[in-house]
Amino acid sequence: MTELHYTFPPAGAYRLNRCLFALKSDPAFLGRYLADPNAGAAEMGLDADETRDLLAGDRDALLARGAHAYLVFMAALRVRMEREPAEFEYF
Amino acid sequence: MPLVGAFACAHTPQLLARPGTEDREIVLRVHEAFARVKRRLEALRPDLIALVAGDHIEAFFLTGVPAFAVYVGTECTGTFGHYRYRFPIHETVARAVVEEGVERGFDLFYTQDARLDYAFYVPLHFTMPAPAVPLVPLHVNVYLPPQPTPRRCYEWGAALGDILGRRPERIVLMASGGMSHFPGTDRYASPDLEWDREILDRLRDGRGRELAAITGQELDKTGNVELRTWITVLGAVGAARADVYCYAPSWHHGNAVVEWPV
Repeated sequence: MTELHYTFPPAGAYRLNRCLFALKSDPAFLGRYLADPNAGAAEMGLDADETRDLLAGDRDALLARGAHAYLVFMAALRVRMEREPAEFEYF
Repeated sequence: MPLVGAFACAHTPQLLARPGTEDREIVLRVHEAFARVKRRLEALRPDLIALVAGDHIEAFFLTGVPAFAVYVGTECTGTFGHYRYRFPIHETVARAVVEEGVERGFDLFYTQDARLDYAFYVPLHFTMPAPAVPLVPLHVNVYLPPQPTPRRCYEWGAALGDILGRRPERIVLMASGGMSHFPGTDRYASPDLEWDREILDRLRDGRGRELAAITGQELDKTGNVELRTWITVLGAVGAARADVYCYAPSWHHGNAVVEWPV
């Protein structure tokens, strides 16, 4: 079978995906993460390697860990919208 | 009464919050097409809009992954960035869709309290007449494998169209999503615009039924997992010839807005 772009999320990546989900969909958590990314990652139960890749925004490493591609994309966009709000034109 | 209108709209978030990397002219072209949809909705005077969209893992995370879901509360709300939105739900029709859909063999998930993803909101932000028309929000799982097959989406759309078409209300059916894009992957900067254009040609020719035969793998390969929402609407309007309001691809997304005159 051809490798899919959007793959079944392995159960072992659940906490990582839950963290990405919270970044994109839980504004209160996003605020805590932006204030202290390491504490935010710890709150979501990520280990040191996952935390390093998340904070570095290393998409390929996150995908290799089983992160869902869409969650990686939107978590990064939401972080960018909060950190650099003036970079966007709002309609 | 038969459906009074059918549409498909892009919903990429850059149409709402445009980063500097997004070509403003392309965004405005899509906005113009949205404005045309809005004028059509004002003329069609629907009692409700049945809106088929793929939740972006917002209402339905890995705690519960329905293939097809219907919002049957009194209203639905959501947020995206600083945007806060709230729409009334046409509860009578929403409930009829669930009850009659199940009766027809579609084991639908329903919710009275799930959040509404921006996939629903972006087209409505630009096209919703005032005062707001009630919605029947209809989710199709597009991002969490295994997704429903395109054929199953088409069959569900056919049943949905029949259920809605037997109602006394004036109903517009709308799909939100597509076309080619690959968010979060190494294909992000390489949408499959040729595939999109070939599909749009088929839709202009009234050959929408053929999309039921596309495989889920092909949708994934061409960045069109969200086309399941269009295929659902095609189940209801299959042979109608599409009027393509715009196809305005950006460097990462095949933005399309389409009407099927019904």
